[in-house]
Amino acid sequence: MKRRDFFRIVAASGAATAAGGCQGGVEHILPLVVPNEQIVPGVASWFATVCRECPAGCGVLARNREGRVVKLEGNPDHPVNTGALCVRGQAALQRLYHPDRFSGPQRRDGAALQPATWEDALGLVASRIRELRAGGRGGAVALVTHLESGSLAALMDRWVQALGARPRVTYEPFGHEALRAASRQVFGRDAIPYYAFDQAEVVLSFGADFVETWLSNVNHARDFARMHGFRGGRAGTFIHVEPRQSITAANADEWIRNAPGTEGLLALAVLRSLVDQGLADRRFAEAVAGVDVARVAEQSGVPAETIRHIAEVFGHARPGLAVGGGAAVTGTNATATLAAVHLLNAAVGAVGRTVRFGPDSAYGQVTPFADVARLVEAMRRGEIAVLLLGPDVDPAFTLPAGLNFAEAAGRVPLVVSFTNAPNETTRLAHLILPATHWLESWGDYSPREGVLGLLQPTMAPVRDALPFGDALLRVARGVLGTEEGQGPLPWPTFEAYLRSRWEPLVGDRWGAALQQGGVWRETPAATVRARVAPVDPGPPALQGEGLTLLPYPSFRFYDGRSAGASWLHEAPDTMTQAVWDAFVEVPAETAARLGIAPGDLVRVTSPQGAIELPAYVSPTLHPSAVAIPVGHRYAPYHVGRYVSAPPTPMNPVALLGGAVDEASGGLAYLAVKVTLAPTGARRPLAILQATHDQDDRELAQHVDLAAAREQALRGAREPHALPSMYPPQQYPGYRWGMAIDVDLCLGCQACVVACQAENNVPVVGKAQAAYGRQLHWLRVERWAEGEPTHPTNLFLPMLCVHCEVAPCEPVCPVFAAYRTEEGLNGQVYNRCVGTRYCGNNCPYHVRRFNWYTYEWPEPLSVQLNPDVAVRQLGVMEKCTMCIQRIIAGKDRARDEGRPVRDGDIMTACQQTCPTQAITFGNLKDDGSEVSRLQHSPRAYGVLEELGTRPSVLHLRKVVRQHA
Amino acid sequence: MSVRAGVGALGLALLAILIVLALSSSRRQPVAAQPPVQPIDFPHSIHVQTYGMDCQYCHADARRSEYAGLPSVSRCMGCHKITAADRPEIQKLAGYASRGEPIPWVRVFQVPDFTYFPHKPHVRAQIRCQTCHGPVETMRTAAGVTGQSLVNDLLHLVGVRAAPPPLTMGWCINCHRAENAARGARAPLDCVACHH
Repeated sequence: MKRRDFFRIVAASGAATAAGGCQGGVEHILPLVVPNEQIVPGVASWFATVCRECPAGCGVLARNREGRVVKLEGNPDHPVNTGALCVRGQAALQRLYHPDRFSGPQRRDGAALQPATWEDALGLVASRIRELRAGGRGGAVALVTHLESGSLAALMDRWVQALGARPRVTYEPFGHEALRAASRQVFGRDAIPYYAFDQAEVVLSFGADFVETWLSNVNHARDFARMHGFRGGRAGTFIHVEPRQSITAANADEWIRNAPGTEGLLALAVLRSLVDQGLADRRFAEAVAGVDVARVAEQSGVPAETIRHIAEVFGHARPGLAVGGGAAVTGTNATATLAAVHLLNAAVGAVGRTVRFGPDSAYGQVTPFADVARLVEAMRRGEIAVLLLGPDVDPAFTLPAGLNFAEAAGRVPLVVSFTNAPNETTRLAHLILPATHWLESWGDYSPREGVLGLLQPTMAPVRDALPFGDALLRVARGVLGTEEGQGPLPWPTFEAYLRSRWEPLVGDRWGAALQQGGVWRETPAATVRARVAPVDPGPPALQGEGLTLLPYPSFRFYDGRSAGASWLHEAPDTMTQAVWDAFVEVPAETAARLGIAPGDLVRVTSPQGAIELPAYVSPTLHPSAVAIPVGHRYAPYHVGRYVSAPPTPMNPVALLGGAVDEASGGLAYLAVKVTLAPTGARRPLAILQATHDQDDRELAQHVDLAAAREQALRGAREPHALPSMYPPQQYPGYRWGMAIDVDLCLGCQACVVACQAENNVPVVGKAQAAYGRQLHWLRVERWAEGEPTHPTNLFLPMLCVHCEVAPCEPVCPVFAAYRTEEGLNGQVYNRCVGTRYCGNNCPYHVRRFNWYTYEWPEPLSVQLNPDVAVRQLGVMEKCTMCIQRIIAGKDRARDEGRPVRDGDIMTACQQTCPTQAITFGNLKDDGSEVSRLQHSPRAYGVLEELGTRPSVLHLRKVVRQHA
Repeated sequence: MSVRAGVGALGLALLAILIVLALSSSRRQPVAAQPPVQPIDFPHSIHVQTYGMDCQYCHADARRSEYAGLPSVSRCMGCHKITAADRPEIQKLAGYASRGEPIPWVRVFQVPDFTYFPHKPHVRAQIRCQTCHGPVETMRTAAGVTGQSLVNDLLHLVGVRAAPPPLTMGWCINCHRAENAARGARAPLDCVACHH
């Protein structure tokens, strides 16, 4: 008997015995009752809409299969993000299918929530408002939402006017008020400009985390890559000033670590140096006459020589771009700091070129924090009787502890939240009227002048929910006692209002606008002239004693609104590689002094309060600072399943008093000093990467700029070829391959979450991740070189490299790992018996083992991609190069009777990459982009000296020895 | 001595069990080789033979989707509002339509969850439906039998009524190989084409 026959008989007999038990199971298949023109079962429909996870307003295409959205991708036509999405945009689906979403309206009954009907709930709100109006107290109604800039904003204005409510509040925890005030001060324009990173030759950033959360991170990342990436011998320069090495700082050619709060002084010193070196307009001399570079050097800890050097590089740029921002720059001196940065731009002629007023940002419409604080004061005084909090508005979590929102809300007789999943604010609300998720809603949003994005429902609501606009209209009808079609708010639904506003704009081209995802036009830059006057960004006022607290927005959770997605908790923070838990970054010097080891639970105390967090000992953080990411929290379904509940809140706003930058009314995040005390307890972090030291393994490689230029002229790469006794492998059709440009990778983790969404990769939780059992098919490694306090960072996206001579294949006893004839390393799950030999033999550590049968808490399972098998306990899995997309791409090409072309197939990671660092294609086609890149002199295979001949090549990072 | 005999007997017994299992499995049929009881006694044979309807008139998604698709209830009613409207089975159909309920058809053909089988490329390659689904046009209620093979036809000629080949991977692969050899089709043989 042959071996194969033996297996066949044994397997068949097993199946035969098993089949007996299955006889009773009858599966039903249900047809549609009435066919839907838009749905062909098995074929995806795509709907264009706008991402509302932050105010950047990126265009989104939602992939709908059988009526359920299963994946989000960037809209390639949208001018903000041109096809890319960030990590939060990718994870928005998990908030759509949030397991804790409210199933309909809830009414508070003591501590518990009781289900209510829409009729009763909306009727209650309307009757309260009606009573107030009858008593002449219409102004006791307050409406607070996040930033809205389209029809919903207009509708709310009408609503407030018709009902005589308090002027509505647009609350954004990161509202960039100081940037707006600085524009007013320097250019006389109350607006936040558009920053054209791609037009700059040198970018000089003072704390602006523009590839993480600042203003429009996907747009900036894309433009930054165009400006900074090595292409045809040209590469821009990026200098970043920040006390902490953020992801943005890690991408700088020169990261300058300053004392916290001295960014404005440095900007002025650079301007002074520009003037002294004759690199700036003479009329700016007046603004910096009193600036002493040597003194600034002393205050900031940045050597005078470095300041002069920055000025020289920046002054010679044609053109340059200076940006300032980030939570670390929002001290009580924020407006002066940003005014200094504006002056710097004006002095080198960047205004109108890289800094453009005209396409002004919607951020300019945010209500300054000081007014939000005033509203909280009014609540405390009992002046507010009805408080309406729009979708996702969560002041109980995001407002500084000093305002004590919870206590103030206790004095409001009716607090209504339109948030659709539980958070700190819904815990205080008397009434919860869950609004539809943005993927279920009509709407429009304009992130900047000239770009008007259109939202449409991409699927039916997952839970019983009402569009926020509809709820407002119904309440207004109840208050005013009007019928549909009458009164100041005649529209029956928000959709009707939206259409009425778009009618004059698009006429009969409504369908085309929906398909495109909105309408856009070029907005010319307005001419502005700088008012040259001295500014004084003196040291910010800091309350308390000890180390300066740097609360910074998390690139994964923003202000906390995205934190319900478990994918985001499982995607590591790139710099620390920590998953799930929050942490306090403690400088190494302080940690040594206080005897704090990594993972020690540390009590962080400010004059406002204290929180306990595990320590991450950072060799790079400024010795006088402590940093904590804002926005970290767990959803109820995370606790117990993926993590255990932390003893104190993790959000550092609990340490803030609510100090205000007087000039702008913005919240000062850089406002307190804190003391650290080890509690004696430990809560070790789950850190996915054991070391950031490459130890001469040259996994992530780099090349000097001059050498890269020389190589680019010399020609193609010489492949690393080891002699072989075997004939070369033949590829009868296509051969798939990939090129990943390490020079372009910013470490933003968008690819990691995109891969997780596309390929049904389960979430394992903190404890399992700490064992190294995370299942990501793709990870972004951070490697640090040079001085530990001031390293050069290399971000290396690592996935299965699909070796031509793959170490995993010969060790598999059941041929589950094998080489396909299109150059992939296939992994056949139904063959795999889980010996894990392949994982042990893989030098890249990219194979993942299912230690359990993982579950998707309902309804998260609805998101699963129907084109990809869900793996079970005991199965090895790994990157397939999105084989389902390859099959679909080949199928489309076959339909059109042509071979697959470049761009037909995009892997999920490639599709979402804001910098287009990942290129996939056919290596047999010499004209394809991937072939061109793989022949680049910068191309190398990770660990190719092992003779594995990877199909995925990386391109070396280009480093500038001197910026 | 007796120990050796005991081991031998045990070995023989195990071998016998294996042989019995192997024999029984060779006669294994797809799950629904016998036609199941459907909620409506839908006669494929009448629709195809009497009225000459094409498979894809009702299973309209086969040419553009992974799934062949079932006709919507309203598509059935398109004809049956008038045609044979008085028959009891059609009144059952009308009942579903008026209640706005889908008809809970019993699934006949099923591949395992770890297998991706798309209809579309097979239709594009002009593979007849009957190749995989058997002679549905002759069946009143469709049963899960595959198409006849040459060996089966020859066996039929000599009077042996052998079961059609089971719907298994080996059978898929044989057809892919044969199609590639016979007419230069590009039917994939990679494992990951169907298992991913």
